[in-house]
Amino acid sequence: MISNTKEVKARDFEISRSAEEKRELLYKDDICIGCGICEKTCPVDAIELGSIGAIVRTDADVPKIVCDEDKCVLCGMCSVVCPVDALEFKIDDEDIKNMEEYPSLISSAEINDEICIYCKACETACPREAITIARNLPERSKLVTGEIEIDKETCIDCGICEEMCPADAITMEHKLPTSDDPTVSSDIIVDKDKCVYCLICKKSCPVDAIKAACRTCSYGEYDLNPEDAETTGASFIDQETCVNCGWCQEICPVDAATVVKSFEGELSVDQEKCQACGACVDICPCNVLSFPASSASGMRPEKVMSDENYCIYCGACENVCPVKAIEVKRTDIKHTPTKSKSWDKKMESLKT
Amino acid sequence: MCDHYTIIFKTCVLILVAIYILYVVKCVFNTHGVHMPKHIVSGLKYLTAVELIREGYSQKEVAEILEMDRSTVSHYLNGRNLSWNSIEIAEKITEFCPKDFLLLTYALMHEKARIIVKTCSNSEFEGIIKESCIGCGLCVDICLMKAIVLNDLKAQIDSDWCCGCLICGESCPTNSIEILEVKK
Repeated sequence: MISNTKEVKARDFEISRSAEEKRELLYKDDICIGCGICEKTCPVDAIELGSIGAIVRTDADVPKIVCDEDKCVLCGMCSVVCPVDALEFKIDDEDIKNMEEYPSLISSAEINDEICIYCKACETACPREAITIARNLPERSKLVTGEIEIDKETCIDCGICEEMCPADAITMEHKLPTSDDPTVSSDIIVDKDKCVYCLICKKSCPVDAIKAACRTCSYGEYDLNPEDAETTGASFIDQETCVNCGWCQEICPVDAATVVKSFEGELSVDQEKCQACGACVDICPCNVLSFPASSASGMRPEKVMSDENYCIYCGACENVCPVKAIEVKRTDIKHTPTKSKSWDKKMESLKT
Repeated sequence: MCDHYTIIFKTCVLILVAIYILYVVKCVFNTHGVHMPKHIVSGLKYLTAVELIREGYSQKEVAEILEMDRSTVSHYLNGRNLSWNSIEIAEKITEFCPKDFLLLTYALMHEKARIIVKTCSNSEFEGIIKESCIGCGLCVDICLMKAIVLNDLKAQIDSDWCCGCLICGESCPTNSIEILEVKK
């Protein structure tokens, strides 16, 4: 007899069918955003969304969705409509996202390294911490030019220059004086890779032992190679955690990031109904919603703010709002075509 | 008084005799029971072999299809090595409703049941798949006749193999399968 088996690993699960063809549904709870689109799409009502508000706000150790393996027929629809790929569906070990007959949501996020200046704004802004910018800074010594010399005969080993140097370029070899060698330092060294020729050491030396000159202003244009001033690097987007929200695209100062969203729509907050409970702010996977800074200590924040530029129209906030103050409309769904009428209908039914 | 004892004695004897007869009958039927499935299988193979020959297959091909020796096929076709009673029972089985015919044959012969049921079935069936099919493939996995494939996320039933058992329709989560009997 054909039946399904379910394997539960912590908050994740795997459902598979005992048959010649190997069908598997894999759920990853840490990726799930609790939007409930899978629950609405499941043709056999096998998926049940948990109490998302409570789970997210208390960081409870329970899965966001539960799937009844006796009801699940392993059709794969939940996997296809999941906007964040928390549900993976495989037939004979191949992901249905790579199969032509199955439709798939069209979304992507890319950073063009040719344009990227590695400022890390996207890395900081990404609400899912999916971006890593690895950058190599220019060598400081190649961006300055000058000369420095310490006259060790004149130097009294006071250490003032070492303490003052903002670039930590001067090091003294401190020691205790002995009858054999009654000095407090054995040597003083200037690291020319670190020195920026700011001349603070020269100005602060009480015995004028330092001779230094900065040539950056007068000769910098001739001495310095503009390529040496460039920051190089590479950008990485973790496609598993990325939800294609658009923060990187919006915040990038040089338009190096391009995000394609699978859903288009409208997000509206009824400020009259909103009680500023913050459930939507906590659940939103894209940091679309926030409270303005409160006017004075002890004052409750006014109403919730939203910026649709970052919204993926997943509807998680609408589900979690206890006073139905939020409405999320999906007006367009971008997906690859399918010849199946029932699948096409399901994809279209995501529009609200 | 005497009559009373006689009645009790006779009753006891009768009971003992009845138990003995039941025991003997049970033993006889048991020996038959052990061999019965084999006899039915032989009967079904005989019917299939005859039908295949009628359809124009050679004895060699029939032997390959049924995975039997050529000589056994030849014996079968000449009516040897087989009790006529087995053929009679096999014929009755082919007249069962398609689901019972398939399930019984499958229990007896597993995978081999497919060709027996396909050849000996008295009717032809056509499967119609509605647009509501979601391509979950449950029918594909459940069909003992292996008559169903998925094509562009929609089930497709091969009329040549469909035996009309309706097992697929019973398991379909969206009630998308309709099986119609067509005239042979």
